[in-house]
Amino acid sequence: MAHEHAHDGHHGAAHAHWDTSVWPFVISFGILFMLPIAFSFHYAYNMPFAAILSLGIGIPLIVAGVVGWVNEAHTQGEGLSYGAMGWFILAEAMIFISMFAGYWYMRLIAPTWPPAGTVELPKVMPLVMTAILVSSSFTIHYAEHLLHEGDKSGYVKWLLLTIVLGACFLGMSAYEWSHLFHEGFTVKTNVFGTVFFSITGLHGSHVIVGLCIFLAALKPALSGALSMGFARTAGLYWHFVDIIWFFVVSQVYYW
Amino acid sequence: MNWKEWIFTTDHKRVGVLYLIGSIAAFAVAGIMALLMRAELSTVGPTITGNPTQYNVWLYAHGAVMILGFQIPALTGFFANFCIPLMIGAKDVAFPRVNALSVWLFYVGIILALLTFFLPDPPDVMWTGYPPYSTITTGNTAMYTFTVLILGFASIIGGVNFLTTIAYMRAPGLTLGKLNIFVWCTLGAFVLQLIFVPVLGTAVTMISLDKYLGTNFFDPTRGGDVLTYQNLFWFYSHPAVYVIFLPFIGVIYEIVSTFAKNRVFNYKMVVYGGIGGIVLLAGEVWVHHLYVTGMADWLRIGQMVTTLMISVPVGLMVIGLVGTLYKGSITFETPMLYALGVLFLFLIGGLTGVPLAVTSLTLHLSDTYYVVGHFHYVMAVAGTFSIFAGVYYWFPKMTGRMYNEFWGKAGFWLTFIGTNIVFWTMMDIGVKGMPRRYYDYSHFPQFEGAHQLMTLGAVILGVGFLIAVVNWIVGAARGPVAGNNPWGSRSLEWTTVSPPPHGNWPSPPSVAEDWDPYCYGRK
Repeated sequence: MAHEHAHDGHHGAAHAHWDTSVWPFVISFGILFMLPIAFSFHYAYNMPFAAILSLGIGIPLIVAGVVGWVNEAHTQGEGLSYGAMGWFILAEAMIFISMFAGYWYMRLIAPTWPPAGTVELPKVMPLVMTAILVSSSFTIHYAEHLLHEGDKSGYVKWLLLTIVLGACFLGMSAYEWSHLFHEGFTVKTNVFGTVFFSITGLHGSHVIVGLCIFLAALKPALSGALSMGFARTAGLYWHFVDIIWFFVVSQVYYW
Repeated sequence: MNWKEWIFTTDHKRVGVLYLIGSIAAFAVAGIMALLMRAELSTVGPTITGNPTQYNVWLYAHGAVMILGFQIPALTGFFANFCIPLMIGAKDVAFPRVNALSVWLFYVGIILALLTFFLPDPPDVMWTGYPPYSTITTGNTAMYTFTVLILGFASIIGGVNFLTTIAYMRAPGLTLGKLNIFVWCTLGAFVLQLIFVPVLGTAVTMISLDKYLGTNFFDPTRGGDVLTYQNLFWFYSHPAVYVIFLPFIGVIYEIVSTFAKNRVFNYKMVVYGGIGGIVLLAGEVWVHHLYVTGMADWLRIGQMVTTLMISVPVGLMVIGLVGTLYKGSITFETPMLYALGVLFLFLIGGLTGVPLAVTSLTLHLSDTYYVVGHFHYVMAVAGTFSIFAGVYYWFPKMTGRMYNEFWGKAGFWLTFIGTNIVFWTMMDIGVKGMPRRYYDYSHFPQFEGAHQLMTLGAVILGVGFLIAVVNWIVGAARGPVAGNNPWGSRSLEWTTVSPPPHGNWPSPPSVAEDWDPYCYGRK
């Protein structure tokens, strides 16, 4: 495609350079090593050392890529992220809908439910977790309100409180998982174990992503350079994670 | 030439060209797989391999790479990237870095698909990956899962990017009623991608979880159910047909309107009835892939009705094309030949699909070569022809140069003839009882002659495609300079210089009150 430059003189639109960014390239190849190659080495070929080696290549690439990207985007600014997050949430919601659809389908055709081997799930803990996650939705909303009013240090405080609440939620979730593992209820037990751990795990991974977005917002927020658009986008994702939890808790714990 | 400005580019046109190069490479690989299968089937019994699993690997690579590595990336990657910002008068997409991420994730997906040939245990699960076979095979199902997941993630972030771009970045005065049909079509395709790709991602993740981590989604002895997979898989993969169909018919609309020098017939009905109808109905027809798997009758009959219903919006889009041709002043350059070829192939493919939608006829036709012939006509070759039509059509804009018209037409006629030899014969022996996916058809020796004819047709088809690709490469390197608007189109992308510079226009364009992309016949 060398002619592209050869033509510049021809039509006279002399441009200094074409925009570039190395980070998408770095992240993509990080993903190649971290996910398929490491997974295959570990599970398909039983070569744990090679798997760790690929993780050692992939994870630093991804971390470097994300940090570089955030710095670049932070200095150049990308608008329109709020609308884009809306579309992204549509796709995310479909992941949960298909998990729930599979769960409902298997549950409704099952001769008996719950299948053999299921243990009693805790009843109080999920309520506490719900309360924590719902209150974190309110705290981030209040933080955005403060940022909108121009109170940047107030935003940082309430953002930190939200992060702490999210971390508490994750901690309780991990505690509950280990408790169930000790009782012998795992993904392998039966189809309910499979569904229980995949749905709560999927939701938990979204909590982690939400916390990562908040951490990415924290640095510019501390230096007072956070844009309202980024704050609203992060908040929108968090509200989505919160709303999904209502479905998780009602369908998996209390049905 | 600065190679860094290509590898690390965030410009939508260069990202588009990267998509095109990758998808044509994928097309070549998947095409070679098809030729290997045809060579294998040219005699009864083993021909070029004695190993049936090898045949399954070719079958897997052909299907998965053609759909996920060639058609969807070429249509929603290359064409969307190259054309949409130019058609809506934007200087780039909304998120250029996200765009670069999606093209490199696409390359990672291609690399994974090609790794298949170097693995000791390549995946052999076809492109559908049905359990329980995929969870017990010795093949590497994880590679299949991750190929789908990575390509799927690339197309989701691409979809988010383009929907945001179309919503917020149109030039002043470019109202929704003045969008090109291609932009509307792609918008519909991306909405479908956003809704349905996550479902496929979930389904293929479940098979790898089952195979490698011991979960029980598809293990009936522990309460799982294999049909869950088929439902989730086809809940994506039928709409995937429309993800391919919508952009390809959009490309054909642009070409037909330009070369017939005519307004798009029934613009509003095409947009609201055709595209809107397809987007609304796409998610309610997946059960026609599962007619013979033991679905409940109420579901089968209901989805037979919706399947027949979806031919109405599709028909509206074909009527729009024919109406655009009517009383046009038509010229037959290479892009137009391919476009008319699509119309012909799509008509045959569409009409032969109607018997398959009817539950009673399907009992006879299911899992025969008739099905294979039908979906190759309607989706595989019609889609591929439109990709070739579109590349020829936007070739002068992309490179600033012209391809060779004689070799363009020669390539078209060879592919067109080869296509009809292969897939018409396929439908014919399918009706007579030739089952699909057979490595050795020694129970059906009467079809050996037909298989040899198809192998010959496949070679002709391959030569035709090869001529086209060589024509592009030679044209891009040393074709004559084409000028900014060689076809005399009214659409916005032809108003800038060829090839467009970074930022597309020296100053942002705005459109006149009485302009629309198809305003032929008035100055």
